[in-house]
Amino acid sequence: MTEAAPHARPFPTDAASLVDHARSLDCIHCGLCLTTCPTYQLTGSETSSPRGRIHLMRAVAEEREEPTVEFAEEMDFCLVCRHCESVCPAGVEFGAMMEFTRGKLEETGTRGPLARLVRWIGFRRILPSRAGLKLAVGGLALAQRLGLTRLAPLVAGLRGEVTAALPPVPPRRERRPLPAVTPARGASRGRALVLEGCVMPELFGRVNHAEARLLAAAGFETMSVPKHVCCGALHAHNGELEQARELARSTIERFDAVDDSCPVVLDSAGCGAHMREYGRLLANDPAWAARAEAFGRRVVDMSEVLAAPESLERLASRLRETTSLRGPITWDAPCHLCHGQQVRSQPLALLDALPGVERVALEGAESCCGSAGIYSVLRPSDSLEVLEPKLEALRRSGARTLVTANPGCHQQWQVGVRRAGLDVEVVHLAEALDRALEG
Amino acid sequence: MELAAIVGERGVRSDALARSAYESDGFMLQREAPSIVVLPRSTEEAAAAVKVLRREGLVVVPRGAGTGLTGGARPIAGGAVLGTARMKRILEINPDDRFARVEAGVVNVHLTAATCSHGLFYAPDPSSQTACTIGGNVGNNSGGPHCFKYGSTNRHVLGLTLVDSDGEITRVGGIEPDPDGIDLLGPLVGSEGMMGLVTEVTVKLEPSPERVETLLVMFESLDACCDAVSDMIAARLEPSAIEILDRLTIEAVEASVLRAGYPEHAEAVMLVEVEGGPHEVDAIATDIIELARARGAFEARRTADDEERKKLWAGRKGAFGAMGRIAPDLYVADVVVPRTRLREIVGVASRACAARGLKLSNVFHAGDGNLHPNISYDRRDADEVARVLAAGKEIMEACVAFGGSLTGEHGVGLEKQGEMCLVFGDDDLAAMSDLRAAFDPHGFWNPGKLFPVRGCREIEARPLGSEAR
Repeated sequence: MTEAAPHARPFPTDAASLVDHARSLDCIHCGLCLTTCPTYQLTGSETSSPRGRIHLMRAVAEEREEPTVEFAEEMDFCLVCRHCESVCPAGVEFGAMMEFTRGKLEETGTRGPLARLVRWIGFRRILPSRAGLKLAVGGLALAQRLGLTRLAPLVAGLRGEVTAALPPVPPRRERRPLPAVTPARGASRGRALVLEGCVMPELFGRVNHAEARLLAAAGFETMSVPKHVCCGALHAHNGELEQARELARSTIERFDAVDDSCPVVLDSAGCGAHMREYGRLLANDPAWAARAEAFGRRVVDMSEVLAAPESLERLASRLRETTSLRGPITWDAPCHLCHGQQVRSQPLALLDALPGVERVALEGAESCCGSAGIYSVLRPSDSLEVLEPKLEALRRSGARTLVTANPGCHQQWQVGVRRAGLDVEVVHLAEALDRALEG
Repeated sequence: MELAAIVGERGVRSDALARSAYESDGFMLQREAPSIVVLPRSTEEAAAAVKVLRREGLVVVPRGAGTGLTGGARPIAGGAVLGTARMKRILEINPDDRFARVEAGVVNVHLTAATCSHGLFYAPDPSSQTACTIGGNVGNNSGGPHCFKYGSTNRHVLGLTLVDSDGEITRVGGIEPDPDGIDLLGPLVGSEGMMGLVTEVTVKLEPSPERVETLLVMFESLDACCDAVSDMIAARLEPSAIEILDRLTIEAVEASVLRAGYPEHAEAVMLVEVEGGPHEVDAIATDIIELARARGAFEARRTADDEERKKLWAGRKGAFGAMGRIAPDLYVADVVVPRTRLREIVGVASRACAARGLKLSNVFHAGDGNLHPNISYDRRDADEVARVLAAGKEIMEACVAFGGSLTGEHGVGLEKQGEMCLVFGDDDLAAMSDLRAAFDPHGFWNPGKLFPVRGCREIEARPLGSEAR
C-alpha cells in the first residue's frame, strides 16, 4: 500500500493573504510541468500552465500584480488534476496552493449574485444532504422520462447538450444503500469501512455494491457508515474551504463511531485524494489536527486493498471468464488516483487478473479527461475540449470497454463516448471485477 | 484586433497579468515582461503576425517553452514574444530515409516517442526534454547527456523553415546531409532567435541501439570521480553519456518524486550509458567499472532494465528542478573545460562560492567537459543576487583561462553577454554582427542578446585610478 505523505505543513493563517506564499517559493521555474497541463496543452499559453499560475500567485502575494478578474479566471480555468505534481522535482504542492487561493477568492467575493445563489444551493443544500441529492437526481430522472432533456440543448446550449447526453438515472433498486455489514467470505482478515459518497449512491450505486462484494470476497468484513453523505472534496476543490472543514470533521466523527482504526476504503478517486489530506485541511485547528492526520493515513483506494498479495490471491481464485465484459478493455487512470494518490500499478494488476480479457494501453491514460469534479458543469466547453484528444486515443486503442475509478470521470466518459458515437462501454474498476466474480 | 484575426482569440495575450508569466525563462536573475504575447498555430500565421508586429514597430523575441537558462527567451525592454507552443504537429516521419519533419513547437521527447515504434530516436536530449521544444533546441544548439556520443543539435538538423523580418517564409537545407550552396544551417543553428523565427525543422533520426546499459558508479570524493572520467577518455572507452552528480544534488533528487535510487552516502556518482551489441556493451562496462574502482569507486551497479534506466535518467534530468528544495532560485552556469581539468574547475567553483557564502551544487556532462555549477539563491536578496553574478563571472573567467569556453549548451542570452569579451575582441563581434545583419538588417529579432551591450574595449577599460588586477 502506498504510504500516505505527511500533510502537516499548514495553510497560512494571515487573513490578508490571497496566496499560500511559502508554498509558491518551492517552484524554481524549471518548466518540467508544462506539457502535463491540460490547459497549457489547450492554449499553448504559459500563463495557463502550472508554472505560470504559480508565478501569478507569487506575483500577487508580493504585490507585483493585482488580483484582477483575469487572475480569478486563470485560477478557475485550472482543472486541479495535479498532473504537474507527479513530475515536479521541487515537490510543489500545487493542488493545495490552488485550493487555498480559490478559497480566498471565494471569500473576497468576485462572483455575481446569481452565481453565488447557484453555488449555495449546490454546495450547501444538495451535496451534503441525502434529501437534496435525491431531489436533484429525481428531477433529472423525471426530465429524462418526459423527454425534456432532449430539449435541453435549445435552452442551455452546450451545457444542455451535455445534459441530453447523460446516461439515464439508474432504477431505484440500484440506488439502495449498502447494508450495514457485508460479511467476509472465508476467514475474515479484519474490517474495512467504505465511503458510499454523495452522488455515487444515486448515479453509481451499483459500483458501491460491487465494491462491497469484492472486499468481502477478499476477506474483509465490510462496514458502511450510516447517515454519512459527503466528504467535502468538491467543496475544497472549488474554494468552499470552511464548509469542507465542517464536512471533514463530521466525516471523521461518523467513521470513527463505526470503527476508529480499520482502513477507510474508497472507490472514488477524487474523494480519496481529498480525505488522505484531511490532516492539512485541519492543520490549523488544534482540536482536530492530529486526529485528522491520523484519519488521513487510514484512507486507501479500493485497488490498493484488493491488489495486495493476499487479497489478489483470494480474488483470483473466485474470478471466472465472463461474457458480460467486452474485450479488449483499457484503463484510464483518474488524475486523483495516479497523481493525487500516486496509485498506479494496482488497478492494472487487478485488471490483468481477469481471466480471458485482453487489455490494451490507452495513450495518455494519465492525463485529465476534463471532468475535474464539477468543472464539466461550470465550463462545459473547456471540459469537452480537454476530453477530445482522449476520445481520439480511445478510438485508436480499439478498446470496447473503458475502465475508470471515479464517478466524475465515469460520467464524463459516458457523455463523451455517446457524443462521439463510439461503441464503448464505460465501467468502474469495481464493476469490471465484480462481473467476473463467481456468485 | 488584427492579430486575433490571424492567430485566433486564444493566440494573443496582452493583459498585464498574462504577459507577466513571460517575464523570464529558466533564468530568474533578471526579469522583463513583453508588451504582447502572440502564439501562432502555423508557419503562415507566424509570417502574417510578423508583418503586423513589424508594421507596429515592435521587436520580437521567439520563444519555445521558456525553459532556457540564459534569459534568451524574454525581451530586454518591451516588444512581442512570438511563441511556438501551439505549433506542435509532427508533419512527417520517414523511417527509410531516417528523418522527421516537425513544427518548431514539438516537444523534444514527443519526437522520440513518435519515432520509437520504427526503432529510431532523436538524439539530442537536454535535461528539460520533457518540456522544451525542437525550435528552442535549434535556437540554442542544445545538447544533453547523450551528445557526448551523438553531438549537439547542429549535428542533427537537416533543414529549417524560417520566417524573416519581412514576414517572408524561407526554406534552408532539405533532407540530404549536405545541401547545395553555402551551408546556412551552420550560422542559423544556435543563433538564439536573432536571425528569424524557426517554424519547422527537419531532423536526422538515429537507429536505436541493440542493447543499452546504464551504470551507476559511486565515489567517496568528487575529485576521484572527475579523474575517472579523464581516465576513461584516455583509455578510449566510448560510452554514449558520462554524467556526474555531487552529493547536494543527489540529496535533492532523492527527496523528490524523481528519486532514482542514488546512494545518499556517496560524495559523487557517475552515471554512464553504454550502447551497442551485447558483447561490446559488456566489455566496455566491465572495463569502465574496473577503471573506476582503480580511482576509488566503492560500488557500481549495472542495469539494462528499461524502467530502472528511465528512473536513473529522470533523476538526473530533474536535478535543476529538485534544487527548489534548497532555495527558491537557482543559477545554472554552463561552462566547458578540457576534460583533464575538470577537478581543477570544480575547485575554482567551490572556492568562488565559499568565499561569497553561496551554496553550490554540481551536475555535469563530464564526458564533454561541460559543467553546470548550480548556485542556490533567493532573488529577493539583492546582495545575494550580486554575489551569484560575481561568482558566475569568476567561474567563466577561469574556464576561459583553462582553454575552455563560456557556453556548453545553454547559449549566451543575457547571462553571458559581458563575458563574450573574454573570448572575442571587438573585431570578432563586429563580424558576427554583420553576419546577423545579413539575415536581420533591422534588428527586429531578439535584440540586445548575445552581443555585449558596450564594446569590449570599453568593458575592459578600468576607471582612472583603479588598480590593475
